[in-house]
Amino acid sequence: MRQILLWPIHSWVWLDAARRASNLLRFAETEAEGGRDLVRAAELTPDPQLRTLFLFHARDEQRHAELFRRHGSLLHQALSGSCRSGNRADWLAPGERGLDDLRIEELEAGPLLAFLHLSEKSAAADFASYRDVLERDPSTRAVFDQVLRDEVYHMNYTLAQLVRVSPQRHRVLLWRARLSRLWKGYLRLALALAGVISGLLLTILYFTLLPPFSYLAKRAARKEPTGWLPVSPQRNASLDREY
Amino acid sequence: MKILGISAHYHDSAAALVIDGMPIAAVQEERLSRRKNDAAFPLLAIEWCLDHAGIEPEALDAVVFYERPMLKFDRILTSALRAFPRSWRAFPQAMRNSIGEKIWVRGVISSHLGLPRHKILFTEHHQSHAAAAFLAAPTREAAILTTDGVGEWATTTVGLGARRPNGAASITLLREVRFPHSLGLLYSTFTAYLGFAVNEGEYKVMGLASYGRPTLVNEVRRLIRRTPDGAFCLDLDYFDFHTTAQRSYSPRFIDLFGRPRSPYEPIDLETAEGRRFADCAASVQQVLEDTLVEIARALRQETGLTDLCMGGGVALNGVANSRILAESGFERLFVPPAPGDAGCALGAALYADRIHFKNPDCLVPDHPFWGPAVDGSALVQLAREDHQSCEELNDAELVDRTADDLVAGRVVGWMEGAIEFGPRALGHRSIFAAPHSADMRDRLNRDIKYREEFRPFAPVVPIEVADRYFELPPGGARLARFMSGVFRVRPEWRTRLAAITHIDGTARVQTLEQSMAPRIHALLESYGRRSGIPILLNTSFNLAGEPIVNRAVEGYSTFRRSGIDVLVAGSARVAKRASSAIQKEIISCSKSVAG
Repeated sequence: MRQILLWPIHSWVWLDAARRASNLLRFAETEAEGGRDLVRAAELTPDPQLRTLFLFHARDEQRHAELFRRHGSLLHQALSGSCRSGNRADWLAPGERGLDDLRIEELEAGPLLAFLHLSEKSAAADFASYRDVLERDPSTRAVFDQVLRDEVYHMNYTLAQLVRVSPQRHRVLLWRARLSRLWKGYLRLALALAGVISGLLLTILYFTLLPPFSYLAKRAARKEPTGWLPVSPQRNASLDREY
Repeated sequence: MKILGISAHYHDSAAALVIDGMPIAAVQEERLSRRKNDAAFPLLAIEWCLDHAGIEPEALDAVVFYERPMLKFDRILTSALRAFPRSWRAFPQAMRNSIGEKIWVRGVISSHLGLPRHKILFTEHHQSHAAAAFLAAPTREAAILTTDGVGEWATTTVGLGARRPNGAASITLLREVRFPHSLGLLYSTFTAYLGFAVNEGEYKVMGLASYGRPTLVNEVRRLIRRTPDGAFCLDLDYFDFHTTAQRSYSPRFIDLFGRPRSPYEPIDLETAEGRRFADCAASVQQVLEDTLVEIARALRQETGLTDLCMGGGVALNGVANSRILAESGFERLFVPPAPGDAGCALGAALYADRIHFKNPDCLVPDHPFWGPAVDGSALVQLAREDHQSCEELNDAELVDRTADDLVAGRVVGWMEGAIEFGPRALGHRSIFAAPHSADMRDRLNRDIKYREEFRPFAPVVPIEVADRYFELPPGGARLARFMSGVFRVRPEWRTRLAAITHIDGTARVQTLEQSMAPRIHALLESYGRRSGIPILLNTSFNLAGEPIVNRAVEGYSTFRRSGIDVLVAGSARVAKRASSAIQKEIISCSKSVAG
């Protein structure tokens, strides 16, 4: 349902070649980051089977990163200079978010697998809808096709492993992971909003409070000599000062 | 006295512990957190240092932060005021960054370690660089030159360091060049212009420079003017780093040098555009070298001293270091293994110990191995769990087997003892390979390091035979101790050392003294007996975008994900199984998934 509702937005986002290139390049970074998280998970797990699967998964993510990067670079190079600096609208095309700022070190296998499963599922749904709106760009569509095949495998193995390591609690863990994703989504939104508000307030302060001080600072800068300036021996006499 | 040094909040945070005048432990946060260039407050590094020494935070006599946060804030605010109104975009971000965490360092340290505020001290950024360079160097008296992007205000300083017979040590900074006039920021601006990541891609600019010709030196000299007193200043019309965080060069810079390279655009040296980028790199490299050589030469004439200690991120530029050694008149040049900001943690602790608390000076052991030690038994366990064949060998067997592997063209991941402090792998967390063919270089770039083909690899050679293969000037072997200099490979050896000989016939040599790493020295000798040349290609044990491996498990995961053939950790040796066996393992895991 969500995908149907978002179809017009995705069509618009992926129509523009510059946005297509920048989104793919961004996905490349995210996949690489996700791959590093999985490597960390493999290094931390005491379960040899999970270790092998996580390393295999990490290699997939690295390969996806390379696929996205190579194709995004090709699209990017095909653009003229003015198109490259076009409006990116990245936030309208979510991909995976690494492992969503997960603190791998603090998680046990069960919660991690639940989170991975949902992450892969959500990414697979997003990538499938991007592929569907890319009828006019078969090469980019082929990239998503290739990635999607792996995502389905990742979804399956994470679920199967979750059932293996937590046979009694896997449903609970999945629900917890869903709630955690929701919470993180809310935090991201709240942080973004806080960033906008604080940015606005600081910009207002900048234009209202700073001009007279700026005048004084500029005047002082004009008088400042260039070249070597002597260092007074007293300046470093004390280590107590923060200034 | 127990003194903890900390560097944090810009890039590459670290902690170092000095007890009774001697470094006990030093490690970068990235090696423990596994986030490359981790700039976060180094809690893991601090914890490890204290654990390693077996002390609680309350036992510390002082904690020294490597710069003065309020002075830095003063520079950030003043720069925003001076650039008004062009700084309107950068201002909110800079304020959020500073006020959010960076200016409350005393409180942060105090609350994390539970220490009273009076125990928390601050050195100036370039004081820390100077201390890391001088107090860790085996010299009695030396001139000091520190240069980097920027600390609080200073970007370049010169000074003097001395050790008196009564055990007192002194560091006197004589003068400084202040922000925004900065050699480090000039170089970083070109790093960004050439499409590389600032604070990380500077190595790439140096590597690329060898492929170009310095045809744009006059244009670069329009950006940086020498002042009558021998210093330099930047023409700020060409830069934007002082007004915005988004871009470091201005439209005028682009008018002068042409279109910047996109990070996603490959550098094709066959094309005119690719050669232009290489020429840009060669030109800024030459101007940087010329400027540093002239500053060093003036310092030599002024002080009459024969030794120079260099610190700051610019001291990682091995090509410039070699020219300074060859042309400035100094006989010896000391660059510590961690001349960048991470090394400031150790510098700050040593400064507090020797200068602030006036404790007697003692020579710091002349090696870079201050981090956590690798546990070979952990590799044995991992390998057994994964049904990999693993052997535990004594040193002699291990050295011989590894030499056989290397002669057979295998790539070896090598972990032993404590991890290096600083950006360079100097044998304790290294990937070794045969240095003879260009195919090996290409294989390492393509299958293991996943990096640009123009980047060179470094050789490691026993110090006693280094001169046979490399043109080392007087003092060159010392500079090469921590891989801090670039020297010419003797012409007769270049074809037989193709994997480590850069396009311009040079190599970033590491000369190895037996006492610093006896087992690697034995490996070099053993390899030399088999191949006729006791030199190995030595590159850091990590993959692109990842920090150098620390524990056995990290080496093992890197080994499994890359084209490394053999992994050695401590006394354990694991050889990669045939790819069919790995495939079988994955299929078996997949079956269990399906089941």
